[in-house]
Amino acid sequence: MTDPSTHFLYPSTLFASREPFIVNTILGSCVAVCFYDTALHFGGINHYMLPFWNGQGLASPKFGNIAIEKLLEKMQSLGCLQSNLIAKVFGGGNIIEATTAQFMIGDRNIAVALDMLREMRIQIVSQSVGGNLGRKIQFDTTTGEIKQKYIEKQQPINVSNVKLNPNPIINNR
Amino acid sequence: MNKLTDQELIDELRIRMMENKRALEELKSLNEKLKSVNKKLEESEALKSHFISNITNEIVNPFASILGLSKSILSVNKENWKKVFTMVALIHTEAFSLDFQLKNIFAAAKIEAGEVYPEIGKVDIQNLVRSVTDSFRIEAQKKKAVFDLKFDIPVGEDNIFYYKTDPEKLKLILSNLISNAVKFSFDEGTIAVRIWTENQGLSFSVTDHGVEISEEFKKEIFDRFKRADTSITSLNRGHGLGLSIIKSLLDLLGGNIDFKSEKDKETIFIINIPEAAEDEDSFTSSLNGNEMFFGDNEVF
Repeated sequence: MTDPSTHFLYPSTLFASREPFIVNTILGSCVAVCFYDTALHFGGINHYMLPFWNGQGLASPKFGNIAIEKLLEKMQSLGCLQSNLIAKVFGGGNIIEATTAQFMIGDRNIAVALDMLREMRIQIVSQSVGGNLGRKIQFDTTTGEIKQKYIEKQQPINVSNVKLNPNPIINNR
Repeated sequence: MNKLTDQELIDELRIRMMENKRALEELKSLNEKLKSVNKKLEESEALKSHFISNITNEIVNPFASILGLSKSILSVNKENWKKVFTMVALIHTEAFSLDFQLKNIFAAAKIEAGEVYPEIGKVDIQNLVRSVTDSFRIEAQKKKAVFDLKFDIPVGEDNIFYYKTDPEKLKLILSNLISNAVKFSFDEGTIAVRIWTENQGLSFSVTDHGVEISEEFKKEIFDRFKRADTSITSLNRGHGLGLSIIKSLLDLLGGNIDFKSEKDKETIFIINIPEAAEDEDSFTSSLNGNEMFFGDNEVF
């Protein structure tokens, strides 16, 4: 078997393919939702930074509610049935110390994923969310398997996804 | 069950009343939020229909004039060949603005689909900035506006300053800033473009002397389809996508944007972009390298 191609998933983007791919990404307070089609054996993943789009800026997959919907649409456009999907949820660590609920971006990001997946009736088969560490994850689109490693706090995390929006958008929740 | 004394009963009732009141207040504030979200939805519906009418104005009309003009060129008499120059110039202007707008629409669509990735290369910054200002020269000439370019960057021996970033995205960012500056500049104004290095990357500023940005508009300036001048008769074209695209692209490149605008003074937009890592691969090398060993308990 030839090695599958790799893809680095940037924040605010999503990826799905019927070809074998290894998708890498790094999560801080961001959340990645992975979908896997158990019938067609392929998967997709997103990487969002904030829970809700509230009309500010472009309606991009930077926002959970849009990222999850867009990923589902993308999977469906590749031929999958919603009823065959299973989901895995990662990330949402509270990297930056915060006390007020409005700044607990990680927690709010997780809540969006759990709420939306319940509404979509997609089963979450495994998850690793919360805590206060960042995560590196590696997603195999053909098996749906995910490997995860925590990122130690001391280690400088150079990716922009860990950086919080300087003007945190307070969403209507 | 033990009987409550009257006092206990009153206390209990008071607590419940308080809880009720709190719940009511919460409901009230949630209702307020719902109202504002509803308003946003209404607005976005209105924007959608506005967008469709914009498309007619700004895509179909230029196409019609390009077709018309080229047809006239084909049928022009030999003795009138000088007319061809002006017609070709008009075609170019229409085609240029069409091309720019389509680029913006495609960029926005790509960002919204989550399919935009940085494509890092070694960029000759002076060359890139000059090519952007050159492309807007004709637009600027119509207003008799001029560009004032200043580079404050360390150049190498070959007099070229290279910077690792995404050339196409930087080009679109600058094009939108300059297009806005030209659009809103007063006639015979100067549009100042400055480029300088900072310890945290490369900065660009675009300054124009023109219509100021209203306080109200400052809040929603990065929202899509928001335009400073929304009247349908507005001479200024555009979909109000520019700044929202700039913001998203800067997010991707790890940069940021700031602006200042005062009445009867200048409007200045400043962007800052950090230099990208050595090349695209090194950004992910820590992920692909051998150090990535996973234990059994790390598989999900």
